Amino acid sequence: MAGAVTGGRRLALACGALLAVGCARGDRVVVGAKNFTESDLLAELVAQQIERRTGLPVERRLHLGGTFVCHRAIIAGKIDVYVEYTGTAFTAILNHAPLADRDGVYRAVAAEYAERFGFDNTFAIVVRRRDAERYGLRRISDVAPVAPRWKAAFGYEFLERADGFAGLARAYGLRFAAPPTAMALGLTYRALADGKADLIAGNSTDGLIQALGLVALEDDRHYFPPYEAAPVARADLLGRHPQIARALDELAGKISEDAMRRLNALADVEHQDIAAIAREWIARSLP
Amino acid sequence: MSLFQFYAHNSREALTLIGQHLYLVAVSTGIALAVGVPGGVLLTRRPAWRGPVLGLANVLQTIPSLALFGFLIPLPFIGGIGARTAIVALVVYALLPIVRNTYTGIAGVDPAVREAGRGMGMTDGQLLAMVELPLAAGVILAGIRVATVVSVGTATIAGAIGAGGLGVYIFRGADMVNNTLILAGALPAALMALAADGLLGLAERKLAWRAR
Repeated sequence: MAGAVTGGRRLALACGALLAVGCARGDRVVVGAKNFTESDLLAELVAQQIERRTGLPVERRLHLGGTFVCHRAIIAGKIDVYVEYTGTAFTAILNHAPLADRDGVYRAVAAEYAERFGFDNTFAIVVRRRDAERYGLRRISDVAPVAPRWKAAFGYEFLERADGFAGLARAYGLRFAAPPTAMALGLTYRALADGKADLIAGNSTDGLIQALGLVALEDDRHYFPPYEAAPVARADLLGRHPQIARALDELAGKISEDAMRRLNALADVEHQDIAAIAREWIARSLP
Repeated sequence: MSLFQFYAHNSREALTLIGQHLYLVAVSTGIALAVGVPGGVLLTRRPAWRGPVLGLANVLQTIPSLALFGFLIPLPFIGGIGARTAIVALVVYALLPIVRNTYTGIAGVDPAVREAGRGMGMTDGQLLAMVELPLAAGVILAGIRVATVVSVGTATIAGAIGAGGLGVYIFRGADMVNNTLILAGALPAALMALAADGLLGLAERKLAWRAR
């Protein structure tokens, strides 16, 4: 937590100050990604788009780690581009209180971000469909009465973030049987599907929600800010290669929430190669 | 925030995690001992099983912990999320050095000594308890030492499956890019490993001295 406090100023400073030292690595563009499928997929898409529009060599550094790992990596110049979510940048990196106003959130972070892809990937509070039907759960506020008998499991980032569990529990008055189990994010879906946990926090565009017989509950008290995906790139890179900004702008507004969910499902449920998924999408959507 | 300040502010949580860590190591090494030593002895009695059993232990050793957790979550009794799954994984990782050293230690006993024992009319059980195990104790203890020290380090993966332990600080620190947090988990784990190594080393030396 302490690391994020001055994150906002540091981001702004770093993007300016590092203009001078950017050329050391030659003109290889390094595209990073966070440690989940959608981030890998979007990074691959961005990488292919930069390759075909600019001809610059692109190196992929996918599945690096959580938000804070990618944020540090781009500030340090170890990666040049990655895909971030507006709400995450706003709360977790710039450390503002969660805010529901979509364009307000985008404007606050827009200085550092390219055009948005066109979909919102919010935290999804996910339960088994069986439980949702049995207890009549549609919204997160419906969970409060059953929570005292339930076990929740979350990844470490969700437990620590400003827009994470503590605020969620306050906003909805959730009290679980025990403090939530902290575990590796990638294992939480499995734990939920196998009945070892009753409630987890996933991503609303995850293909696994449908495939594993789970449902995402509606955030009826609008606790989570909008999380619209957009590529973030180092200012020095865009300064040297304005054609990269043009290539990224072509992706603006091209992926809807449903489209993203389908792409994620191709990777997570049908286990297709993400490079192939990205190639097909580009061939279909960006003539 | 310095490491000292961190511990001062979070002493209760830190102590809980250290306690959980010790518990995971103690229980898993205990089970690995209870299974591994008799298992190693059995292999000396059934030489044909040696290849498959040691091969299996070797293969188990190479499964990455996250993958192992993935397999274990759906299983009844030994699976789920929490301490039990972590202990199963730690036992799996601790078995190989104990089984192999028990087997190697006993197989390395001088055949002439064994013959002498038989000549004195010892049963197989007596031979094991009075000749083979005492002579092999040094090698067996060395295996236990390796297994324990490795367990102290590996037990940090318990943090990935909701079983607590010092891995919680390491995972949280890695996700939040907070080096103080990572150190808060790694440092006590390293000290614990050194302490376990030192204590078991002492026991080994004592044993070697007695054997002389």
